[in-house]
Amino acid sequence: MTDAELIAKLQADLGGRIEIDNPGPRRLFLKIAAPDLVPVVTRLRDAFGVVFLSTISGLDLGATFEIIYHFSTPTQDLNVRTEVPREAPRVASITPLIPGAILYEREIQDMFGIVVEGIPDGRPLLLPDDWPAGQFPLRKDWHYDRPVEVIPGGES
Amino acid sequence: MSFNIPIGPQHPALKEPISLRMTIEGEVITDADIRLGYNHRGIEKLAEERNWIQNIYLMERICGICSHSHATCYVQAVERLMEIAPPKRGMYIRYLVSELERIHSHLLWLGVAGHEAGFDSFFMYVWRDREIVMDLLEMVSGNRVHYAINTVGGVRRDLDETQKARILDGIATLRKRSEYYLHIGANEPSFVARIAGVGLLPKEQAVALCAVGPTARASGWDRDVRKEDPYAVYDELEWQVATADTCDVLGRVVVRIKELLESYNMIEQMIKKLPAGDIAVRAPRKAKPGETVSRYEAPRGENIHYIKANGTEKPERLKVRAPTLGNYAATVFMLKKGFVADIPLIFAAIDPCICCAERVVTLVDGRSGASSLVSLSDLRRRALDRPANALVKGKAEWPF
Repeated sequence: MTDAELIAKLQADLGGRIEIDNPGPRRLFLKIAAPDLVPVVTRLRDAFGVVFLSTISGLDLGATFEIIYHFSTPTQDLNVRTEVPREAPRVASITPLIPGAILYEREIQDMFGIVVEGIPDGRPLLLPDDWPAGQFPLRKDWHYDRPVEVIPGGES
Repeated sequence: MSFNIPIGPQHPALKEPISLRMTIEGEVITDADIRLGYNHRGIEKLAEERNWIQNIYLMERICGICSHSHATCYVQAVERLMEIAPPKRGMYIRYLVSELERIHSHLLWLGVAGHEAGFDSFFMYVWRDREIVMDLLEMVSGNRVHYAINTVGGVRRDLDETQKARILDGIATLRKRSEYYLHIGANEPSFVARIAGVGLLPKEQAVALCAVGPTARASGWDRDVRKEDPYAVYDELEWQVATADTCDVLGRVVVRIKELLESYNMIEQMIKKLPAGDIAVRAPRKAKPGETVSRYEAPRGENIHYIKANGTEKPERLKVRAPTLGNYAATVFMLKKGFVADIPLIFAAIDPCICCAERVVTLVDGRSGASSLVSLSDLRRRALDRPANALVKGKAEWPF
């Protein structure tokens, strides 16, 4: 299936819900509203054979967080993007649809503090056990100051 | 009565330190749980503070065995963002190194698989032959591990006629030996008996858990980024995707040896077709605002980088997903219903890094809570000794 055919099919099927961008060959970016995530992913899986999730990227855009789900099929890459507000970052889990998404959803919970609702196993994955609550390293307002190195006896 | 065995966090059978908690009933693993982050270096955050050129070297240090994979996946994306096209000769040299790296990684893994299965002569033969490709990589790039041959816009070193001849010589030797290893790997009765049926991952589970690379291909799922998203030179070469349908460690051995043979073909084609011309073009210091997704078939599976540029000389966001992370969910599935004695083998079957130092497993007695430290080599020895110490005819005392 060529890119143009797939775009036409997607638009016929999910027309009102998605905005499609096709920046290069085999690369499709689908923009959807956050509440549409589960219905759109279900439809992509059942009608378009999109079963493989490469990863989930989070981005800090300031007032909102963008979440990009990188799917691929043997012919195209489908990147489904959605935005959630910074004050209440909540998104539905797609793990019940695609079991392989579990580690990536746990990762964005750790790194961006986005609450994934309905995740089967929401424990922290990457950060240390004694990590302070409310610290999300990949947010743009999070900075790490390296402690000043103290050399016993001073510098020679 | 069930026991909990924590494996890790310092557990070098995987590339990163990782913690696996096994729940076992007798010898059977009933549940496995995973905890990551013991080697989290914050590279994605760090990359936002580095410029486009500095990031090549940062990306190269994500992984020791497939260092070229991350660097290549990154420069592919940056070249797309900067809208520059590297010259053909540069591309051929870049992907020639990619295939040489795949050969060294698969040979390394094959040796580890032999070692974990108790077939150490296989391990020594394969690792002897791995030196051939390590020497070729050193000749081409100047380094054995971090090749540092990529730059934005092409590669940093050219190939001459003597080097081309030496690569072809080395590949011819390796091909003969790999054919022999394929014969052994698929036919040697004791080796096959040890690895067949271990670490089962049926195709529907591989699909559901989004497995990648040889692990997915050994479950009969013929996905290869080089075929389905043919970047750079791969649509100009003739080759096949290697698959197996046994869904176990045996299938993963067969897939990797078949991939070795395909890589030898690709390298010969690349050397023969190597075009004349420049090896690199000059790249700008800044990239226009934009975003791109770059995919690359690393030796362990699909590697994906998402990069967003904001018009400066640094990336706004750089997201990396290495293939091993994609396979963890599948590993947990493979470990369930397996035997304790198969843990090292199942680990080794998804990821081959043994360049790390010490291997330690803590065995916790579920009833008393007492724990004892056992090195993995010791655990492996116990696994091998188990059938030897069993009460079978050979061990029974002769009555006369």
